[in-house]
Amino acid sequence: MKCIITIELGTNGVRVFAFDLNGRVIGSMKGYFPTFHTEPDHSEQDPEQIFITTLYVLKNLLNEHIHPKKHEVACICFSASMHSVLAVDKSGNPLGNAITWADNRAKKDAQELRTTAFGKKIYAATGTPIHPMSPLLKITWMKNRDKERFRMASKFLSIKSYIIHQLTGELLMDYSIASATGLMNIHTLDWEADALKYAGITTARLPELAPVFTTAGKLKKAYLQSLRLPPETKILIGSSDGCLATLGDGVKGEGKATITIEDSGAVRVMGPSVLKDEQMRFFNYLLTENCYVSGGPTNNGGNIFEWFSRQFGDFTNAFDIETSMQQLMEEASKVPLGSDGLLFLPYLLGERAPIWNAHARGAYFGLNIKHERKHFIRATIEGILYEIYSIGKILAEQRAIKSLSVNGSFGTIPFCTQIIADMFNKPVKLRPQLHSVSFGAYLLSATEMGIYKSLDAAAQTVELPGVYKPRKQNHAVYADYFNIFEKLSVKLFDEFEAIGSLQQKYSVK
Amino acid sequence: MNQFVLQHGKSAELLLFPHILEVGIRKNGAIQLNAFPATVTQCLRIYYIMDGRFEWLVDQQPYIFYPGDAALILPGTPFGSDNGVLEIGSFSWIHLNIQQLDNGHLQPGAWSGLSESESAALGKILSLNGSPVISKCPEIGKILRCIHTELFGNEVGYQASINHQVDELLIQIGRKMTRQSHSARDFPKSFMKLEAALRQDLAHQWTVEEMAALVGMGTTLFNERVKSYSGFSPINYLINIRISEAIKLLKRPEITVTDIALDTGFYSSQHFSTTFKKLTGYRPSEFRKNHLRNK
Repeated sequence: MKCIITIELGTNGVRVFAFDLNGRVIGSMKGYFPTFHTEPDHSEQDPEQIFITTLYVLKNLLNEHIHPKKHEVACICFSASMHSVLAVDKSGNPLGNAITWADNRAKKDAQELRTTAFGKKIYAATGTPIHPMSPLLKITWMKNRDKERFRMASKFLSIKSYIIHQLTGELLMDYSIASATGLMNIHTLDWEADALKYAGITTARLPELAPVFTTAGKLKKAYLQSLRLPPETKILIGSSDGCLATLGDGVKGEGKATITIEDSGAVRVMGPSVLKDEQMRFFNYLLTENCYVSGGPTNNGGNIFEWFSRQFGDFTNAFDIETSMQQLMEEASKVPLGSDGLLFLPYLLGERAPIWNAHARGAYFGLNIKHERKHFIRATIEGILYEIYSIGKILAEQRAIKSLSVNGSFGTIPFCTQIIADMFNKPVKLRPQLHSVSFGAYLLSATEMGIYKSLDAAAQTVELPGVYKPRKQNHAVYADYFNIFEKLSVKLFDEFEAIGSLQQKYSVK
Repeated sequence: MNQFVLQHGKSAELLLFPHILEVGIRKNGAIQLNAFPATVTQCLRIYYIMDGRFEWLVDQQPYIFYPGDAALILPGTPFGSDNGVLEIGSFSWIHLNIQQLDNGHLQPGAWSGLSESESAALGKILSLNGSPVISKCPEIGKILRCIHTELFGNEVGYQASINHQVDELLIQIGRKMTRQSHSARDFPKSFMKLEAALRQDLAHQWTVEEMAALVGMGTTLFNERVKSYSGFSPINYLINIRISEAIKLLKRPEITVTDIALDTGFYSSQHFSTTFKKLTGYRPSEFRKNHLRNK
């Protein structure tokens, strides 16, 4: 039997899935790699460890699920987190670690550029919000503050480009990853001269651009041998996690939107045109030519509930956060919706969409003498989801949203999914297994192999069996509270900045 | 018990215990000058506070100790009070002659009933721990009291009992220290600390017991948690780090493959070569030829 393998290079590690040609999962494995925070705003990963972990997990999956059953690997397709930057020397060897999406070292440059007309022009051309996450600003930071590395850098790659370069020797960047660098013009499908000039580089220092269906060379002999794969195994460059999660949920066509809530979150739509926004609140990334994945990202998703559980949950078993979170969810479900008027702003990690304020901080609001511990639990969950709703609300100003799908470990918890349905007042569908990104990579591969005529046709076959229906009376309650939430999220602008700088001033190292 | 001091070479009570260099209780009723100056010794020193409040310098850093707290002073670390002042209060102590290996790890001697990997793990915890303060640990006081009683009582079996108590002392300190530095609520954080410890000493022949002890877990739970968190067994995760570091070193021409093998914790260049080839398909030397920096 032929099979398709997908490799997802994520924030916390690599996930490898094997699908049969009908999209059924044959097997999956994961491998963790760490993120290093050597300085407060830094967030880095070791490219060699990512490579070795990827190879190790792939090898284990092949040896356990594929080779013993004599399955034939037709294609290996990649997906990856967006916004990473890795400088390499002229031999292609890394100059230090890769800088990940979560890195904030370029925040000053970002703040300056964001308010200028030039910044707005670059945003309109590249689709990537002006934010420290953007490789445009990370490379600019390197140019100004890490001059030696900048000078030595022969090329600036993404993590995925590096991994594929190791495996096949090709030096490429797919449209999806490239469209999230702030350096690619998403309308002309070429590198954007203004952005490159700002970063102080030329196209010679970037990999070649490649559509997501591109075959990225052939596996080197040594890897063919160690992985026991035939030379004709196709290596498909693939796309980004955000684009593939959207495709994997079948969100192609009018009126559909998808919500991802893992550690962080996003609300996305897909269509033939970009979302224009004077306030630069949305991203517009490319899946393929004339197919844009647009939406808004949040910093504060499941990681905030995890923080809450760690601080206030019961830990009867050491290190068992899952049980602790489950117990908290159960307690929260006994609290009336709206948490009897206790609101939570979840901005513990600053915020991107919709307020784009790195200084934002968390707050509980509306406390009265009758509130108990359990109200805090529910308010925390509702706060995270109000924030998701607030992104959906501004998206809906530009695109009619009729149906929603949810993916990601936090969003698919039944208690949360129902709240999402109630807040949006829309039916919410989901996939029982948690692998929208990899399923998107499967659809991409299967389309490339001719199993589906087009990505549209592939997306149409997606069936999401679980449905959560909205309850009108619940929606009314959430809508009332959301009015206050939305006002609070911008009302504290000066105080957010003031408390943030005091936190920095008095922080004890 | 009243105050006393027994010293190795002077006190007959310690003849059977060459590893116990000093043991004692001090009850101090008035502030005394020049009674507790900073000293450096090559033994492991443990002080347990029974009464009062003491401000002591460990490695030039001031720490405050309260009743129930203990101070752990590693070999070669200066310890004493500022200007030698001894404050009011009482404390007991023990000085242990514990072998310190070249890599800074502590190893108890033949008197100990701890297995080799257990003592390596404990040594690792003690030497990696950042703070000399063990707060609220009455068990330490209890064990010291028991050692005193046995030393003076000379009841049958007291030699074995005392050696046993010294082991128990090290175990309690090790456990308390890992619990102090690892919240049982945050596995990712503990895992990152373990990661950093592994990277700092990649050449060390790590055992699962040592790794588990460092994060304050039993090996069964540790294996399970690491597997579900990282996708790898602890040893395979370690191999991941070893090969990743080796790749970086292979890209630099000035280090020999044998040195890389030993630096990254492989038994030999042969062991390195086999593991490396199994995973990557390349022998280290081939990989180096293909990737050498600035070739």
